[in-house]
Amino acid sequence: MIQVKELKKVYSGVTVVNIPALEIGKGESIGLVGNNGAGKTTLFRMILDLIRPESGQVTSNGEPVAGGENWKTYTAAYLDEGFLIDYLTPEEYFYFIGGLHQLSHAHVDDILNGYADFFNGEILKKGKYIRDLSKGNQTKVGIVSCLLQRPDLLMLDEPFANIDPTTQFRLKNIIKEQAAKGVTTIVSSHDLNHVTDVCDRILLMEKGKIIKDMATNSSTLGELEQYFAIGQTVTAPAATELNIDPEENH
Amino acid sequence: MITTFLKHEFKALGRSKNAGKTLAVRIIMSLLILLLMLYVVAAGFFMDMILKKVYPHQSIIIPFCGLVLIYFLGELFSRIQLQELPTLRVQPYLQLPIKRNTIVGYLTLTGLFSVFNLWPFLLFWPFIFKQILPSAGGLAAFSFIIALMGLSVFNNYLALYIKRKSNLNGWVFLVTTGVLVLLILGDFKWHFYSIRDISYLFFGNVLKTPILALIPLALGIFMFYFNFLYLKQNLYLEELQTKKDKYKSSTEFPILNSFGPVGDLVANEIKLILRNKRPRSAMTMSLLFLFYGLMFYLGPNKHGAGSDYLKVFSGMFMTGFFIISYGQFMFSWQASHFDGLMVSKVSFSDFLKGKYLLFTTASTVAFILTTPYAYFGWRVLLVHAMMYLWNLGVTTNIVLYFANRNAKRIDLSKGASFNWEGVGATQLILSFLLFIPPFIVYVPLKLLGLPDVALAVLGAIGLTGILTRGFCIKFLEADFHKRKFAILEGFRNK
Repeated sequence: MIQVKELKKVYSGVTVVNIPALEIGKGESIGLVGNNGAGKTTLFRMILDLIRPESGQVTSNGEPVAGGENWKTYTAAYLDEGFLIDYLTPEEYFYFIGGLHQLSHAHVDDILNGYADFFNGEILKKGKYIRDLSKGNQTKVGIVSCLLQRPDLLMLDEPFANIDPTTQFRLKNIIKEQAAKGVTTIVSSHDLNHVTDVCDRILLMEKGKIIKDMATNSSTLGELEQYFAIGQTVTAPAATELNIDPEENH
Repeated sequence: MITTFLKHEFKALGRSKNAGKTLAVRIIMSLLILLLMLYVVAAGFFMDMILKKVYPHQSIIIPFCGLVLIYFLGELFSRIQLQELPTLRVQPYLQLPIKRNTIVGYLTLTGLFSVFNLWPFLLFWPFIFKQILPSAGGLAAFSFIIALMGLSVFNNYLALYIKRKSNLNGWVFLVTTGVLVLLILGDFKWHFYSIRDISYLFFGNVLKTPILALIPLALGIFMFYFNFLYLKQNLYLEELQTKKDKYKSSTEFPILNSFGPVGDLVANEIKLILRNKRPRSAMTMSLLFLFYGLMFYLGPNKHGAGSDYLKVFSGMFMTGFFIISYGQFMFSWQASHFDGLMVSKVSFSDFLKGKYLLFTTASTVAFILTTPYAYFGWRVLLVHAMMYLWNLGVTTNIVLYFANRNAKRIDLSKGASFNWEGVGATQLILSFLLFIPPFIVYVPLKLLGLPDVALAVLGAIGLTGILTRGFCIKFLEADFHKRKFAILEGFRNK
């Protein structure tokens, strides 16, 4: 589905993404983890042709994404509120997105009915513009607008941030359903529990490089926790964390 | 603390993403203000001579005293239109251990930094020193100065208070402007009363009993304190923007449905215009400017030789104002969701077609609304029609070409705190550049004695532009893809 070759992005002398090769197969569900500044969002943006890479290229279904329009027909992504048209009501936005994919209003309504639980009565028919919704509710609008497009490739950047615990569980189920339907999903998150629960392949990024690429199994969560906990004690020599250190090393 | 606030504000000014532009604008504006000030200084300096010319038979101090209140009334009027509100983004400071009185005091005091407060000094002080000091003595001159300063401060804070109120409710602005206009008309047109006499009554007495100067001073101090209290009570309201919870209903434009995805894009853009303060003002402005033609055609030389130039200009202006004022900030209006647009299934050529459709609609509506100008002769209508074609064929393309070169983010959601009043003047200065091309075509032919050919050529160029739209779209699309990443980068910079 997605091939990444020799991809590199440099911001004022600092390499923020450097991926020699990455292959994401059809139907895989990928979890992207890494600390702030690891390059997750930058990688997302390059896959979506929103940032010009210094070198290398990304191909989607064999076609380079750069300059192409074809991948837009089967790709749906929500990275941040910048993807929402914030002066529209959620309904108007859904109809707009649906319309781009030749869905009639009735059809869109039908699909939205299926997400009534997910919306928890806070989105539709509230008489609010998207800009007046809370950040969590904006995320919900963004995620559902992605699903509305019936994508083959679904990309979500930190979808678990800002949403309440109940919705987080519902979202996990939604992502699992999509994966079961054969949709390729790429999800980044800081919540290691969620990401190991949902995804069957984890990419761990550090300073722009993918330093670990592993299939999820029972030991993945522990392995990830170990990586992140150690990283913390090296940079933050606080007394409490020094206590944890020996435990984690055993 | 106050110095820290000042430092922060200078940093905010220097580091804002639009620093370059605002700086350039500031320089142009301050040059204009300087020029204006020179006139004011000259007027102030020669005021005694001017008054002597106008009122040769009486002591010039009497008309001077009569003038003061009239001046301050006019000043209040222009302050309400032009004076800028001092804005410190108080939100980051509210929860810090800074006394609220300090924050509010700072906000209130900085309200005094306005060129308007310089004017009375420049205008009246020379006269006071040249005439009042020698004839009425030091104490009278001093009391005069105190009274003028009191009135300035009073005016300053009254204007700021009205502006703050009208930021929350637009009607306040209209009502106060209306009241002021009525006050002025009541004197000069209907003669119910005479502001001059009231002014003379007061200032004439100040000359005799200087202690009266304390009244305006007290008014000034009262207004300052009133503002201080108002700000203090509304520290939450002011910057944190309470919104009225009105039910926002979804709307649709059935006519646009027949245009497919292009129509959807236009529908969204119309909503953008209607639901956000700044683009909405661009639209209302272009409606108001439809009356602009009256100014020209009712003018003294409506059948004069030069009036064809005016027709070309006003035709261009009236049918193209929306294209120019709204198009000038194109694609910045959509900056906040441009990432989303680029990823969604919208081809850029559809996006451009949407812009053309929007411009064509707006321009056509403007053209239809200006047809009554045919009252001033069919030729007016003919010129308007040619300029309508020109706007559709040429101005749209120029505007869109420059849109590809614009990567400055506009945050529409920051409606109230964004100082959109300040944009008006810039917008006009920059948009006048777009008025030059039609005259480059028109003037030489007209001077050769071929005014009809000149009009025909203008129309033909416009028509060519319309007919070659397909080609233009391809060109603009290719051009956009070269600059796409720079634009996206700029739009992401908050």
